Amino acid sequence: MKRAEYKVPGGKLLAAELAVEGGRLAGVKITGDFFMHPEATIIDLEKTLCDTPVENLDDTVNRFFRENDVTLFGVEARDFVRVVRLALES
Amino acid sequence: MKETWRLIDMRIEDAPTQMAIDEAIAMARLKEDTPNTVRLYRWNPSAVSIGYFQGVEKEVNLPACEKYGVDVIRRITGGGAVYHDYNGEITYSLVAPEADPKMPADILESYELICGAIVNGLTGLGVDAEFKPVNDIVAGGKKISGNAQTRRHGVVLQHGTVLVDSDIRRMFQVLRVSDAKISDKLIEAVEDRVTNLRRYLGRHVGFDEARSALIKGFEDTFDVALEPGELTGAETLLVKRLHEKYSSREWVFQR
Repeated sequence: MKRAEYKVPGGKLLAAELAVEGGRLAGVKITGDFFMHPEATIIDLEKTLCDTPVENLDDTVNRFFRENDVTLFGVEARDFVRVVRLALES
Repeated sequence: MKETWRLIDMRIEDAPTQMAIDEAIAMARLKEDTPNTVRLYRWNPSAVSIGYFQGVEKEVNLPACEKYGVDVIRRITGGGAVYHDYNGEITYSLVAPEADPKMPADILESYELICGAIVNGLTGLGVDAEFKPVNDIVAGGKKISGNAQTRRHGVVLQHGTVLVDSDIRRMFQVLRVSDAKISDKLIEAVEDRVTNLRRYLGRHVGFDEARSALIKGFEDTFDVALEPGELTGAETLLVKRLHEKYSSREWVFQR
């Protein structure tokens, strides 16, 4: 399991836990003290990230937040990319 | 004549019941005969609540909670972990429809308005408090209240904590703060960031006094009269069902 934490400057904490199988993300879990409305969207995001080729991370996250009506406080879409990338590098 | 909202006043319950009541009122608000509601309450036994997105094992020292008889619960709202000290903390919750003319459609604005009720209540006690976006209230630069909101079923549910005289040492025993040890130095650092009514005002503040001030804060902010009431039959049934969810391992340990 790869893990990383990222504290958004002036914002909240994000943590990611994941594995990589055959160049694809697997078992992605994102936690933290941020706010996301509606809350259950996090489960959709995790599902979307699972099986995503590592090189498509940015596009997948950006598309997810473009296509879903999500309101975030304390974090932004790019912070999810950042914490997953940090976990990949761990 | 002033609009009347229901007040459910200072119920003392365990963590699953408190969280079930908040969610039940939110679920019932638009479907059943449920009015806009403000609750003030205390947690017995003391409990740690974690935000919806938090990892329980990452945030909570579970063996310490077991040792001290502290409940652990996951909220339906985001935000951080809170130690709800039975002897040192009041929690409030507010439920109103998103479409209520008094409720801003914008989430941040509604945080500011609802936190404004707490700020007004604290001001009545002599605390120079202010809202600090997104979800904090500070006094003298130190946090005295944390708040969290969700919107579902067409309803705004916000709950939050007002620190009266909380046991910071116990808070650090039950919450996991990185892996740092609980040293006096760390506690001092927390005391630089967190305060409570007793420490801020330099005197004992009883629950009754704090409660009255908060009620007035809500009444003035929303221009309503809060009228003491009880849960409806429909809400009580929902509480029973939701209590099972909140006390389940599946819910608490889902992440």
